[in-house]
Amino acid sequence: MSNCNHELAAGVARRDFIKASAMAAAAAVASGSTYSLPILAAEPNEKIQWDKAPCRFCGTGCHVQVGVSKGKVVAVAGDMNAEVNKGLLCVKGYHVGSALYGKDRLTKPLLRDGEGYREISWDQAIQTIADRIEAAPERFAFYGSGQWTIPEGYAAQKFMKGGLSNNHIDPNARLCMASAVTGFLATYGVDEPAGCYDDLDACDVLIMWGNNPAEMHPVLFSRVVDRRSRGEEIMLIDISTRRTRTTEACQHYLEMKGHGDLAIANGIAHLLIKNGTYNRKFVESFCNFKAPDDENPNLNGKSISFEDYKQALAPYTPEYVEKLSGVPADKIRMLADLFGKPELKITSLWCMGVNQHTRGTAMNALIHGIHLLSGHFGTPGDAPTSLTGQPSACGTVREVGTLAHALPGGRVVANEVHRQQAEEFWNLPVGRINPQPGFHTVEMWQSFCTPTDQGGTIGTIWVQVTNPGQTLPNLNKLFNPKGDNKAGLEDKFLIVSDVYPTATTKLADLILPSAMWVEKNGVVGNSERRTQQWFKMVDPPGEARDDCWQTIAVARELFDRGNQGMRDRDGQFIFEIKDENQQSVAIWDWNHYYDVNVDKHLFEEYRQFSRLKHKDLAPYDQYVQARGLRWPVVEKDGQWKETHLRFSEGYDPYVEPGSEIQFYHSTTGDDRAQIWYHPWIAPAETPDEDYPLMLTTGRVLEHWHSGSMTRRIPELSRAMPGGYLEISAEDATVYDLRNGDEVLVESRRGSLVIPVWIDGRGRPPRGTVFIPFFDETLLVNDLTLDAFDPFSKQPDYKKTAVRIRKA
Amino acid sequence: MSDDRPKLTPLVAFIVMSLAVVGYFTGLQSPMNPSEEMSPSTLSEHVGHVEESHSSGIPAATSYSDMAVLTATSVPHTRLDGLKSDFDLLTEVKIEPGEKAAALAMRSRNRAFNGAPPTIPHPIEQLSDASCVACHTQGIKLASLRIPQMSHNFLTNCTQCHVESAPQHMTAVQFRENSFAGLPAPDEGPRSFAGAPPQIPHSTWMRSDCMSCHGYAGLQGIRTTHPWRQNCQQCHAPSATLEQTLLASEPHFLSPPNVNK
Repeated sequence: MSNCNHELAAGVARRDFIKASAMAAAAAVASGSTYSLPILAAEPNEKIQWDKAPCRFCGTGCHVQVGVSKGKVVAVAGDMNAEVNKGLLCVKGYHVGSALYGKDRLTKPLLRDGEGYREISWDQAIQTIADRIEAAPERFAFYGSGQWTIPEGYAAQKFMKGGLSNNHIDPNARLCMASAVTGFLATYGVDEPAGCYDDLDACDVLIMWGNNPAEMHPVLFSRVVDRRSRGEEIMLIDISTRRTRTTEACQHYLEMKGHGDLAIANGIAHLLIKNGTYNRKFVESFCNFKAPDDENPNLNGKSISFEDYKQALAPYTPEYVEKLSGVPADKIRMLADLFGKPELKITSLWCMGVNQHTRGTAMNALIHGIHLLSGHFGTPGDAPTSLTGQPSACGTVREVGTLAHALPGGRVVANEVHRQQAEEFWNLPVGRINPQPGFHTVEMWQSFCTPTDQGGTIGTIWVQVTNPGQTLPNLNKLFNPKGDNKAGLEDKFLIVSDVYPTATTKLADLILPSAMWVEKNGVVGNSERRTQQWFKMVDPPGEARDDCWQTIAVARELFDRGNQGMRDRDGQFIFEIKDENQQSVAIWDWNHYYDVNVDKHLFEEYRQFSRLKHKDLAPYDQYVQARGLRWPVVEKDGQWKETHLRFSEGYDPYVEPGSEIQFYHSTTGDDRAQIWYHPWIAPAETPDEDYPLMLTTGRVLEHWHSGSMTRRIPELSRAMPGGYLEISAEDATVYDLRNGDEVLVESRRGSLVIPVWIDGRGRPPRGTVFIPFFDETLLVNDLTLDAFDPFSKQPDYKKTAVRIRKA
Repeated sequence: MSDDRPKLTPLVAFIVMSLAVVGYFTGLQSPMNPSEEMSPSTLSEHVGHVEESHSSGIPAATSYSDMAVLTATSVPHTRLDGLKSDFDLLTEVKIEPGEKAAALAMRSRNRAFNGAPPTIPHPIEQLSDASCVACHTQGIKLASLRIPQMSHNFLTNCTQCHVESAPQHMTAVQFRENSFAGLPAPDEGPRSFAGAPPQIPHSTWMRSDCMSCHGYAGLQGIRTTHPWRQNCQQCHAPSATLEQTLLASEPHFLSPPNVNK
């Protein structure tokens, strides 16, 4: 009997085989020789090819193992060898493979034809874009995102600033973490966190500022709370405007009013000084003090003395903070006591609550400030760490610098030396790069939605990998006019590259089908400075093509038409790539795009930019072998070593021996960080008689951003089918609302009819309502306001005054 | 006409209520009796409280009216850990091929692919994980309800990976079709001959407790036939590839002796 299974498998039909093997198994059981389960398989499962990739969704940067069979992704597993997630994923990550297979993937270029669209060829599409740019290169804008891979963003950046001498390139990350950038720059003189996720394994206290990682960064949250399962003690503190799943795991919930965080941070600093529990040695050795310069607002502010700082904080007694924030004075004392204990390890996490804030730069700086003032900085577990929401918000936006004012590697267009360095790396004629910053996101869309004869200078926007028609604030001002025949915008042209139809493609004049995730090569950078690489594993559907190819193809079309900007000093194409035999490869021709690894060529060119701010990147091949490496990645004894903690001796190779802590990009040039004072200032809009409720917006666990991918995944879509208004039971009684009732929500900018979910996923207090932004049919951004932070230009999505009534 | 109506109304009401009551209890039984024609993308029925079943030795919950007359001896019977089982957990289990196929089909209903975290076939408490842990730490099988034990080490944030199959707060609608074809569960583990112990055909990561699926509370078709054996991996080896060990996929050997001819 021993070999019968295999012999049978070769020739017998499946049904017969099942019967035969069942009999064999039954016989085996009956004879007592074995205890086998029935054997069902006639043919073994198709061989699965597994390979690594970072998850497509958030900024955590979990690595997944992608299982591919017959040219399709069929399974996903947490990557056990990835330090970020150690084999664990969240429900979005486990189902990321399904994101490729929504039935309505875009597969053909589509050109607007009256009310509808007609299919056109890629050649026609590329020529259409080139025509628009050629007609008015200075009126063209590129709107990208933190989901651009590093090579995609780098190509767009070089195409715009190096090729077209046009700085109108900005990403959706402006809406997401621009205030984190300005907070880091104002404090340390250089962007991105000094700490990393390892701090979550070491901290004794974790403070979450307006942050709900249980749903938005679940893998990081589990990394902390699962420590309790191992018997470790850790104190979790949630400072928030509503109860969430995060709150449930916390010992302390500090419910604050909008902008209460500014008061809380000042209250902590006030008590640290009053009680003498601030870290005098740390402050005297490594810090200066700053206050905003009201006459000339800038990120350098004005220097103040410790006494000035103390005086400025004097009003922020716990009782005054309670009045401003709604958080009891005792809780402020509790926070100050914790920061006053040098033996505790304290990590702060924050994301959109602090960043989407009209005082976002100030609030970011204040959190850094209390960590510096108390000396909770620079050792494992002591870290102020801002999180990002997109897979490459750090890698592409912040490091490649796809912002209207920036150049790669922490450079800015306004700096002549920086421009020269970029022109040198790009082999461009001197003076090619425009010194005037371009339009930031809100300006760009405002200009696009303003008629040309009224000064709306932007005539064409090309959108890649994002969905502004859903995610811009105040859509009725910044996006919806495009669809209004009476708005006088007939001459404006919207180009959208995407993988699915969205609220943005709805108003597009030209829609381009893109490849996504493992349908292309990629490199991204996560929240903890970790650069991660993957290879293409499956083909994109239909005629969908890489975003990077689309940019290069348009550049080549302009080159062929004689555009001088697409030529370097030697008259060569700016995206010239040569193979091993020094032969030029026609990468602008899709049939040859994958003849070479374009990602690798672009990355190696970009890598030169990374040294100026000591954000050194390793050669591409190092990332192929690793599950990501945290910069600066420095070569030592033939090994490429990543860096866990920046500015700390023993961790950061750029800190001089004996200096302990060295802020080597200090804005004051003395290796010191800046501790800022910023006053409490009221939100841009607060509830009043006409609009008595505070509306806050955000995400839910199941859906990522505008839901264009996750809402096409059955498991996620079923769990969270649509948008809703979350309201407290008390307010629901006041408005006579029951679960599922439709309610009309109105702000000064728009209105929305939406079903009610009392309490819901989170529990807002009386006077606050919440609407998630994932549902493309219930656009909460019709209500939000476009007021933004004066430094970062990031809008505030969290505080909108609304009124509601039963619809 | 007008005379008949008063007589008819109570009758209609009685029929409707009877149907509702029957329908309710039928619905409650459904998790143990899933209809076979459900496709993997169909939703499972909600699971509510289980009707008492004296025949299987399960005590009824005490009603408030009975509280006053409760005796000390009757109290323990209202607790789950006081339950007695009719089953001998250590006898050999016999499994029909059809049962195994049914078990695999059942599993695939709330999993996008083999290895995906299962979705939750019952309503959940939105904020707290305590209620998950209350039942799924131990796991239990009653006559009409099966509560699987967690297959992995205790992880705190349950809803991070497990979401509701169908939410209670709104009607589930499949917004857009999706053609993702998930990896099916393996039918069997590779084995060298018919009686040999098969290799474990799946990763043991997140499935480290074999008894979660293959034990008494597992689905009948994939239970172990030999439950008295406790040390599973003594005979059933895991796969180095599936376990992501990063070890060489093929064993390396020294060169063979160079035999001169």
